[in-house]
Amino acid sequence: MAAPELAQTDPEGIEGVRMTWMNWPRSKVEASKCVIPIATSIQPIRPHVDLQILPYAPLRCKTCSVVLNPFCRVDFTALIWICPFCLQRNHFPPHYNSISQTNLPAELYPNFPSVEYSIPNYQNSQNFNQSSPIYLFILDTCMIEEELEFAKSSLKRAIGMLPENAMVGFISYGTQVQVHELGFSEMSKVYVFRGTKEISKDQVLEQLGLSVSGSRRPGPGMHKSGGGGPSPVAGAGPHTAINRFLLPASECEYTLNSLLDELSTDQWPIAPGNRALRCTGVALSVGTGLLSASTAGTGARMIALVGGPCTEGPGSIVSKDLSDPVRSHKDLDKDAAPFFKKAVHFYDEIGKQLVNQGHVLDVFASALDQVGIAEMKVAIEKTGGLVVLSESFGHSVFKDSFKRIFEVGGEQSLGLAFNGTLEINCSKDIKVQGIVGPCTSLEKKGPSVASTVIGQGNTTAWKMCGLDKSTCLTVFFDVSSSEKSDPAGPTSQLYIQYLTSYQSSDGQMRLRVTTVTRRWAAGSEDLVQGFDQEVAAVVMARLASYKMEMEEGFDATRWLDRNLIRLCSKFGEYRKDDPASFTLNSFFSLFPQFMFNLRRSQFVQVFNNSPDETAYFRILLNRETISNAVVMIQPSLISYGFDSLPGPALLDVQSIAAERILLLDSYFSVVIFHGMTIAQWRNMGYQNQPENQGFAMLLQAPQEDSQLIIRDRFPVPRLVVCDQHGSQARFLLAKLNPSATYSNAQDMMHPGSDVIFTDDVSLQVFLEHLQRLAVQAS
Amino acid sequence: MATPRGPRPGAFPPNHNPNALANNLQNLQINQSNRQELSSAGSDGSPWTSNTSPFGQQPPPFAAGQPLPPPPGGFQTGPTPPAAPGQSTLPPDAMPTRPAGLTPQPLPFASRPPPPGVLPMGSAPPVAPGQSTLRPDVMPARPTDATLASQHLPFASRPPPPGVFPSSVGGPAAPPYSGTAPRPGPLGLPTPPQMSSNGPAGNGPPAFAPGMMQSGSRPPPPMSNLPRPSVGQVQPPTMLSSQAPSQPLQTRPGFGGPPTFVSSSVGQPGPPFSTFPRGPMLPGSSNMPPPPGSLTFSPPVQGTVQSPGHRHGMESWPQQPPQVGLSHPTPGAMQQQHQMFGMPPGPPPFPNQSMALGQTDLSQVDINHIPPYSSSSAVILHETRMDNHANPPPPATSTYIVKDNGNCSPRYMRCTLNQVPCTVDLLSTSAMQLTLLVQPLALPHPSEEPIHVVDFGESGPVRCSRCKGYINPFMKFIDQGKRFICNLCGFTDETPHEYQCNLGPDGRRRDADERPELCQGTVEFIAPKEYMVRDPMPAVFFFLVDVSMHAIQTGATAAACSAISQVIPHLPEGPRTMVAIATFDSTVHFYKLKCAQQQPSILVVPDVQDVYTPLTSDIVVQLAECRQHLEMLLDSIPGMFQNHRTTDSAFGAAAKAAFLAIKSTGGKLLVFQSILPSIGIGSLSAREAEGRSNISTGEKEPHKLLQPVDKTLQTMATEFAEYQVCVDLFITTQTYVDVASLSVVPRTTGGQVYYYHPFSALSDLAKLSNDLRWNVTRPQGFEAVMRVRCSEGIQVQEYSGNFYKRNRADADFPAIDCDKAIMVSLKHTDKLQQESGCSFQCALLYTTIYGQRRIRVSTLYLLCTNNLTSLFVAPDLDTLFSCILKQAANEMTSAPLSRVKDKATNVCINILHSYSKFCVTKSSSALLMMPEALKFLPLYTLALLKSHGLSSDGRIDERSFWLNYVSPLPTPSVIPLIYPRMIAIHDLDEKESEDSIIPAIIPLSNMHISDEGIYLLENGIDCLVYVGASVQQNVLTQLFGISSVEEISNQFTLQQYDNLLSKKLNDILNEIRRERCSYLRLKFCKKGDSSGMMFLSNMVEDRMPSGAAYSDFVAHIHSQVQKKKA
Repeated sequence: MAAPELAQTDPEGIEGVRMTWMNWPRSKVEASKCVIPIATSIQPIRPHVDLQILPYAPLRCKTCSVVLNPFCRVDFTALIWICPFCLQRNHFPPHYNSISQTNLPAELYPNFPSVEYSIPNYQNSQNFNQSSPIYLFILDTCMIEEELEFAKSSLKRAIGMLPENAMVGFISYGTQVQVHELGFSEMSKVYVFRGTKEISKDQVLEQLGLSVSGSRRPGPGMHKSGGGGPSPVAGAGPHTAINRFLLPASECEYTLNSLLDELSTDQWPIAPGNRALRCTGVALSVGTGLLSASTAGTGARMIALVGGPCTEGPGSIVSKDLSDPVRSHKDLDKDAAPFFKKAVHFYDEIGKQLVNQGHVLDVFASALDQVGIAEMKVAIEKTGGLVVLSESFGHSVFKDSFKRIFEVGGEQSLGLAFNGTLEINCSKDIKVQGIVGPCTSLEKKGPSVASTVIGQGNTTAWKMCGLDKSTCLTVFFDVSSSEKSDPAGPTSQLYIQYLTSYQSSDGQMRLRVTTVTRRWAAGSEDLVQGFDQEVAAVVMARLASYKMEMEEGFDATRWLDRNLIRLCSKFGEYRKDDPASFTLNSFFSLFPQFMFNLRRSQFVQVFNNSPDETAYFRILLNRETISNAVVMIQPSLISYGFDSLPGPALLDVQSIAAERILLLDSYFSVVIFHGMTIAQWRNMGYQNQPENQGFAMLLQAPQEDSQLIIRDRFPVPRLVVCDQHGSQARFLLAKLNPSATYSNAQDMMHPGSDVIFTDDVSLQVFLEHLQRLAVQAS
Repeated sequence: MATPRGPRPGAFPPNHNPNALANNLQNLQINQSNRQELSSAGSDGSPWTSNTSPFGQQPPPFAAGQPLPPPPGGFQTGPTPPAAPGQSTLPPDAMPTRPAGLTPQPLPFASRPPPPGVLPMGSAPPVAPGQSTLRPDVMPARPTDATLASQHLPFASRPPPPGVFPSSVGGPAAPPYSGTAPRPGPLGLPTPPQMSSNGPAGNGPPAFAPGMMQSGSRPPPPMSNLPRPSVGQVQPPTMLSSQAPSQPLQTRPGFGGPPTFVSSSVGQPGPPFSTFPRGPMLPGSSNMPPPPGSLTFSPPVQGTVQSPGHRHGMESWPQQPPQVGLSHPTPGAMQQQHQMFGMPPGPPPFPNQSMALGQTDLSQVDINHIPPYSSSSAVILHETRMDNHANPPPPATSTYIVKDNGNCSPRYMRCTLNQVPCTVDLLSTSAMQLTLLVQPLALPHPSEEPIHVVDFGESGPVRCSRCKGYINPFMKFIDQGKRFICNLCGFTDETPHEYQCNLGPDGRRRDADERPELCQGTVEFIAPKEYMVRDPMPAVFFFLVDVSMHAIQTGATAAACSAISQVIPHLPEGPRTMVAIATFDSTVHFYKLKCAQQQPSILVVPDVQDVYTPLTSDIVVQLAECRQHLEMLLDSIPGMFQNHRTTDSAFGAAAKAAFLAIKSTGGKLLVFQSILPSIGIGSLSAREAEGRSNISTGEKEPHKLLQPVDKTLQTMATEFAEYQVCVDLFITTQTYVDVASLSVVPRTTGGQVYYYHPFSALSDLAKLSNDLRWNVTRPQGFEAVMRVRCSEGIQVQEYSGNFYKRNRADADFPAIDCDKAIMVSLKHTDKLQQESGCSFQCALLYTTIYGQRRIRVSTLYLLCTNNLTSLFVAPDLDTLFSCILKQAANEMTSAPLSRVKDKATNVCINILHSYSKFCVTKSSSALLMMPEALKFLPLYTLALLKSHGLSSDGRIDERSFWLNYVSPLPTPSVIPLIYPRMIAIHDLDEKESEDSIIPAIIPLSNMHISDEGIYLLENGIDCLVYVGASVQQNVLTQLFGISSVEEISNQFTLQQYDNLLSKKLNDILNEIRRERCSYLRLKFCKKGDSSGMMFLSNMVEDRMPSGAAYSDFVAHIHSQVQKKKA
């Protein structure tokens, strides 16, 4: 089985849109028969070589505010365009007078379904600094010296990489929160907030002396001395006041570096047998409050480096006593995690606050234990923040990922953008149920809002405080059941327009307009032809994860099985009750295997992971591109051997051979697995002998390939290099189809092969069952 | 400015703060006073000769009448040199104690116009040049018992045991004086009379006394003391002389006259006086109070009363003696008279000294017949016990040296009555009260023997197992020393085996004299582990400085920082000294002083509603580790907040936050506050304004403004005290800050309030600096708890002062220092046995600044009496009046002013009524009879009624401060507060003959103030310099460097100029500062403006809006007494 995504290049195209069904079922009933929901994935700001940047403002339909697009019918003589969504006739404004059949503006070119408008930024013209992005670093100091040093050096490097005009702030915290006033020149000055007390945005502002109203009333004792003097804060707006804490990187780099040099680990005493007192929750709310003083509309990232669980104050996830372990999935299931709900609620509030401000929360957690990503997930996802989970600040997973976010321009750049909003316009038969992915509903009601909600729903507009070029959202659609008339005719096309406005990393305001059109499916064949199994697999994975979080007692495995069986029943070709006759159209052929792997993946089998890891995986599943998400669901395996070119191998234990090297990419980790013999040779140093250059090259090849994978991926995956029968080999074995287990080892054994000690069913068994069930009369 | 000022680079502008301070310091130069002596002493250089030189001016009598040489010779060789080593053993840690004594560091001497040979000696007092090396050791001045690890025994190095004194002294001293006495002329003329009689006699010694004070430890050799006591003795002869009538007027009854009367003419009034035979010989005995005999002032001849002469004080005074003399026969006669009429009955025939103030016209009393205020500057040698009985203490304001031989020194504990009434009825009949004033860590005189430290090892001091009283000289050992009877509760205890000792034939333990706890009234025990709930706390000093806009702009912040940085070098050395600094405006700023860091960093605590400490470590750091950072920080703080626009001040929050930072150890929190706290916990409102408006709208109870506005700060203070945090508050303000509310914190935590209003960075910096320095360097203790135990039948009713009342029986002091006194009111629970006497024992458990846990135990054993008359012999006026004052102050907050005043007046009336009703059998209704011991009671009462605290028109803050100031005030400071000391300073240079540094005291009456004069008046807090309207210009120039009064600004600092007058003035000021342990706020008053009015408002003897003239007041008292009797 070839890895299909490698064959297809650029399935998203310039649109950046993929759909589970290319041709849409016409009615609600039909849609539900399709089993796989109608969903599109969109990468709102996916870069593309052909993307046109238009330096003028878009034209909008005066009734539905759809932006002029290639699917509009244009009357060049009357200078009128007809909106394909609402059929409204709009006049072109005078500056379009010169358009003609041969002189089309870019937005009307049929091969440019996506164009980007660069909107003049008024703020920019006034004061460039105001809209230059803010980076507020929040550093946990409750760690061992060594870890802190790692974190500090990463921070320093990051600060050095920031653009000169980027505004930088710094908060360190441990048992208490320390807001560093970088603009204070005499000596280092910090505001200290207690970690135990929940603090509102207004309190933060007032206590930092940033409150807009100048609410520090003149003291009653001052009437005499004050005279008619100006009010102390008057005139000093929040913009200038905030400059005490946020300074252009170029101005504060030295201060920050020396500050970091002197920064030591948290000095609060830790009682024996207790965890460090760490007030991540308050630190985040103080940071949020601080950012709220910045000019509205300025993009900001709050970048938290967390070294352990929050144990102090609001947002705590575990008690101080080390004998209480951090909650596990089991605890969550049994409702035995006393801190969980409160903490989730707390971080949710922070998330909401940040969304209001349009700011992003990024969390870099490096600890051996959990730090509370599960609780913070809401805030991170809603703001479109980044999250990286690693074991240590010294680990490359953290170090390299952290570096990546500050790289500007070039291949490596994540293309971080701020303050995005996504609006969806669609033809009138189409309803939007919601979005699963890093965004927040703006609760913009409209005729296109479906009654059922999935993810961030009840709206046709969403906020994405942070987004980058790989950000991918899944939009769930519904079709209205009523419209069934007129199967042919002008309404055989459906239209969806995505409008994404955002502030690019260099501070420009952009609006990307992507207009897609699809056909209503004429029949079952149309449906089958239009099925995108990769998207379908990812959508199912996202939906299952979503349901596992949202629905109590949701049995994901059964749900997936049932849907798979239904799908096969509907689209498979078979004779009733004859499993052997079952065949599946090639458009569906991979889907069962995707489902098989999804069932075994970390998204469904959560009990192998901590809640933090699960949350982490899900955040990434929801925000990554389809192709990356597919890798998460079904890792790719490449085999390297003397006898063959490197090539994809079956994700099966049978692919293991003594004289092969395997390269597994499961997205979060990349495993290089040396067969037994290879390992022995390598250990004996054959690769260093000139006559064995071939071997050296064989060893080298997977290394190079892995670097290619690692280089482009964010977060940087963990690289595991292991040998057959070594302890680290489990990273590979866990992902392989257990076609050879201890129970059937005797039959399958061949030299150099391996077995997996598991009771899990193998793919073959799974498919057999599937066929049997699919052909059963329902 | 013209003075050559030491080595300081003159880079700073003269008015620049730091330098202003420096200038003042130099002006302060205490030791300069000696210079004059030095120079006059010439090459001789011996202390004695220097003192004799003044005498030299009255050579005839001395030279002729008395072979003076012997004593001097003895001194030169004897005492001084031995003293030197003795002194040098003084550990350097015996920090300079008197503030004035501290200031000299910045090389004062350079400013002196040089007697060349003398210059190198620097400050060395009149001691020989060789001894100048002593100076470093000497500077520490008064060895503090608290800090004195190694006991230095000044007496030990000196041969003469007490017994020797009389012989060596009495001999030489008395005769000469008797010789001089009859010559009123030379003595009386130059100075006001009341001093004049003292003058020559006293002059020698007083001059010497200051010398001692200055040089601190220069131990006035015992001999040198002797002349002083002899002064007292000098007077007897004069009393005997025909001049006598004037004497009672001029001298305190305690000295002088009485003894001679007693010895000559009267029997001893009961047991206490049985010692009398020795009296005249022993200097100490001269203090014996009981000259029985009342002085009666008969109605003056009318017409003479308001004689024109009175307008000029100088002239009028000399007239007094004749006047009095006219109206009286000799005192002896009076006394006889009284003996017959007043107190005929038996053995203690004339314990009562009484005076009668007569009047013919109730509305007019001749002021000259009323006892005018007087005091003596003579040094008294006081033995606490004489012949097995308590020796009534000398006046609290006098200079005295105590020899502890059983009873504790009166410095530590004084009782209002020197004999304890056996029954409560007797006490109430007398209308007096039985109250102790305890000052456990009082500064001893440098010549006194330091308190012995006794270490009982792990077992701790021997104590009564029932009442827990500590072993003391009055515990009676019986049964071959195997058991002992507690003098407090009467319980019989087994003597611990290791403490047993056989008894001598006299019933005393044979080792009694070797064991300090058995022969001394005050000892200090080393406390073993069981007296500690934790390890003794380190010495923690937390400085908290207001940096709000107002504070910055007025220079208060800069002043505070400068004061702090000057005090840092004076903090105790060693790892136990911890320091922290925080500042506050609307937020609290801590400073991280960790030495590893390049520079300090600021930690802001912004939540002033609910504060916390921003770090657990690095805020409070060892001084030794952070000196540099500290200096850097203090330098930069004023500038750092220069542009701050925060008007708010979060005092409460800041104090709380600082408290949290030192909660684990406790310590001293020194807060510099400049405006009304307007934000955060314990914020206050300007209720003074509200109060005013309330009054205008008819609502009254202005005394409510003297109460704290609510409980917040009280609650906070209680918490502080629980954790042994003491708050001292330095209020440097120009506005209302609600002292009444703020002061609760220092008051509850054993601290005190310093009040600088209106604050001027220029003129107050020096005082602030000195106050702060004295505050941290004076002898003090931490985490102290005090309990007073009394004999069966007497109980402590209440403690009153600055401390925390954790429970009824004890007073808890987070910190206690030598300036804090506690008033202990007592009550009878039972009848006392006359024969058994009554003991009081004050035990103070505290931690020294060096971290040693100690118990200071002072025991006072007094006789009991059933006799009202002996009660009136016994009252200790100073103490009694202090109690009246404190009680009045306590009532101020809860009662209307008029009631407080009435009450104080009634106390006076009732006492005098009781006396004249029960103790004076026959007297004319025209005569106001009063006991000699209480002769100043009406005057003090009047002064109290007119004092700032009791004036209804005073600023609320000032009155609140006054109330707070009074609360822990020790007796010696009470009198000057109420009856300030006034001296003339325009004619200092004319009084060449004087060798007492401080010239004669002028009574507080307008009639003694001349338009040509410049006067200085001080009350321990303020020092007012009053310039008359027509002062000679050259005097002004010499004193202040100005040519006319108008040139003097309100912000005025005294400088020293190169002339005798200026030098003398500076010497005087320094002497006063030393005496008061306070650097006095100098204020300049001009005749005719408000400052002049302020000055004149101190003339308590005059009629003024706040009260009657002295004479009228006495008349009032008299009439009330008469009314009562009728």
